[in-house]
Amino acid sequence: MAHHADAKRALDERGYTGSLIRGDNPLKLFEKPVRDRIIESYYWKEQCFGLNAATLLDRALELTFIGGTYGVAQRPTPFLCLAFKLLQLTPDKEIILFYLRQEEFKYLRALAAFYIRLAWEKDAEVYETLEPYLADARKLKRRTREGWALTHVDEFVDDLLVKSRICATTLPKLNPRLFLEDEDKLEPRISALGEELEELDGDDGESDGEVEE
Amino acid sequence: KAWDDDAANIDPEDEVDDTDDVDPEAERASWKLRELKRVRRDRLAIEEKEKEREEIERRRNLTAEERE
Amino acid sequence: RQHLVASGESGEVRRAGLEEVKTRFEYLVAKREEAKAREVVDLGERIEVARE
Repeated sequence: MAHHADAKRALDERGYTGSLIRGDNPLKLFEKPVRDRIIESYYWKEQCFGLNAATLLDRALELTFIGGTYGVAQRPTPFLCLAFKLLQLTPDKEIILFYLRQEEFKYLRALAAFYIRLAWEKDAEVYETLEPYLADARKLKRRTREGWALTHVDEFVDDLLVKSRICATTLPKLNPRLFLEDEDKLEPRISALGEELEELDGDDGESDGEVEE
Repeated sequence: KAWDDDAANIDPEDEVDDTDDVDPEAERASWKLRELKRVRRDRLAIEEKEKEREEIERRRNLTAEERE
Repeated sequence: RQHLVASGESGEVRRAGLEEVKTRFEYLVAKREEAKAREVVDLGERIEVARE
């Protein structure tokens, strides 16, 4: 199946024939003002035009930070533009999993995680797919509205699972983990801390959980 | 390649360093702390829910008289 | 027409499958490693030149 390179056409309500996520055009997962800013951005026009799931890697391997929009003009980050491109492409699940599972490029992993949280419809699958990366402690640079911040892959994944808004995007509703456990749709999570957990837990129980740096 | 940037906008001093394995031990320790906080948060959520459940149960068991 | 599709000018983009994605990934990784290796060589040469 081919898609049209022009996002304006993809956003035309009447003409839309692409794949659906939760019964709607996936591009609408981003709010209108954000969509407009992406489509107007130089990065989108010059760097994202005509990409498919393979050539998108040319750009994604160059990513050096995550983020939503920044600056007074609320410009979209390349990260956000590429996520938008992925929503347009809706690649097969196995392709997204390939992006996620490769080890070398942490920003590609972050991009795949963000996409999965946005696009995958089964809550239990979202938890099961993303939670293993709560063990990925690598650093991520995040562009904020006014500057830069340091985060980590595990932290970003946790944000995706517990927060309702991230990277200028309101995330689709995701049932809390506990709810899914009660419904027997999910086994309790096993922390990558393993046996260390008990140790740590005993250690600093009184000291308010602060471990020395 | 900073597309769409007003060149003046970026202050390199502001940028954070995302190089990994600079101090592996410290990085591992800070991950452990984050993970521990998550585990505790999730445990607390379970306890909260248990308490709620017990409270509902307790009220259900009260006789009409006791309720007044 | 083929060219137009390839260059994206027709506005239509061909969908890529997993194999193509993997191939592209390997290619890009190899290219980066080459570039890195070249940098090392360049640096080595520069040091040589400086020594002379």
